[in-house]
Amino acid sequence: MKRSPFVLAGTVVGLASILSFHTSHVKISLTAISGPTTSVPPVTTTTQPPTSTTTVASNGPTTTTSTTTGGPTTSTTGVPTGKRTVTGPMVNYYYGQLSVKVTASGQKITKVAIASISDGGNPLSIQIDHYAIPMLEPEVLAAQSYNIQSISGASYTSAGFAMSLQYALKKLGI
Amino acid sequence: MAPSTRHLIAVMGTVVTVDLFNCEADPNVDAAVARVRTLLHEVDRVFSTYQPSSPINMLRREEISLDTAPPQVAEVLDHCRRAKEMTAGWFDPWALPGGVDPTGYVKGWAAQMALDALTHLEVSGAIVNAAGDIASFGGPAPAVAFRTGIVHPADGQRLVAVVELRDCLATSGESQRGAHLFNPFTRNFDSAVASASVAGPDLGICDALATALGVGGHEVMVLIDRIEGYEAMTVAADGSMSATGGFPFVSD
Repeated sequence: MKRSPFVLAGTVVGLASILSFHTSHVKISLTAISGPTTSVPPVTTTTQPPTSTTTVASNGPTTTTSTTTGGPTTSTTGVPTGKRTVTGPMVNYYYGQLSVKVTASGQKITKVAIASISDGGNPLSIQIDHYAIPMLEPEVLAAQSYNIQSISGASYTSAGFAMSLQYALKKLGI
Repeated sequence: MAPSTRHLIAVMGTVVTVDLFNCEADPNVDAAVARVRTLLHEVDRVFSTYQPSSPINMLRREEISLDTAPPQVAEVLDHCRRAKEMTAGWFDPWALPGGVDPTGYVKGWAAQMALDALTHLEVSGAIVNAAGDIASFGGPAPAVAFRTGIVHPADGQRLVAVVELRDCLATSGESQRGAHLFNPFTRNFDSAVASASVAGPDLGICDALATALGVGGHEVMVLIDRIEGYEAMTVAADGSMSATGGFPFVSD
């Protein structure tokens, strides 16, 4: 038997240590994507998110999802070297369209960013865009004073984001 | 600081990252990561609910039976049955509209298998992160624990907490993506909290528990608190947080 089953709840006395997290949010720098995402014109109206999630992948180029499974056997180029950047195609995602940009040095990915995004200015989707990048670049976060190696959150990374990224990785020979 | 490597694998409708720490001396890294890649794509092929021809969709349409489906399907559904019992029905892949859908378990289960395929490497630690569902062993250096930030459900630029990563951590939530957690009791897409995290030794179980916690909130947290080795934390829509007593917060 482990400790007594006592659950701390928001309304229960004795929560000071937990609530202190609530009042001291960690600020994450998002300089890596401040360019493309802030170019979306802000809107003042509040838009409700779609209630169905079935459109997430149905609009995307689903035939591309298995292109990296086969390994390098069909590659027509030599082993890529040097620093280079590739932008994936515009693909549908939950709130609109986006493409991603990947920079690699040799076989190492040095940067992942959203190259362009068409999300109708929906503030919800802008927040999601801000979420997807730090998740893929925890080293950006690790550089902060909090010394963390990964981040966890509800999985907002869209199929569209992954598809565009996958295309870019393939073009980079990674 | 010895070098670490990162591998990105675009699969399962998301991006899985594989991070290896202090791995410079081990020549087996590339082969291990290739195995992980193959493993994850195989899971996707069998369990993708977005691919009409996937075995799980064929099973849902009753075009094949459990006996003729790939053996992983029966294995996963067995685990799901156990998770349903652990959560008193709050995690219930059989209640979903359109037939059984183990998606709430599969991503964590797959990432756990991916991690297990890396344990033989000479590294100080490894992290497999499947869109926020994280399996790990070791640390960034010998005798140092990994730390994970949990993102604020309403603001992806902020963290609500930093936790010490002991094995696994899964987070479910839906505040930004619209409702996608299915409540098996109301039979609606609704949830009790904006973000639900579960830490514990197995990521598949963490994933299922986090899904249940996102839907059931406090009631499920009480259940998880009684499960040996697992801890839980939630963030409500108003930003208030709850956690079991042993949730591994880092306070500095």
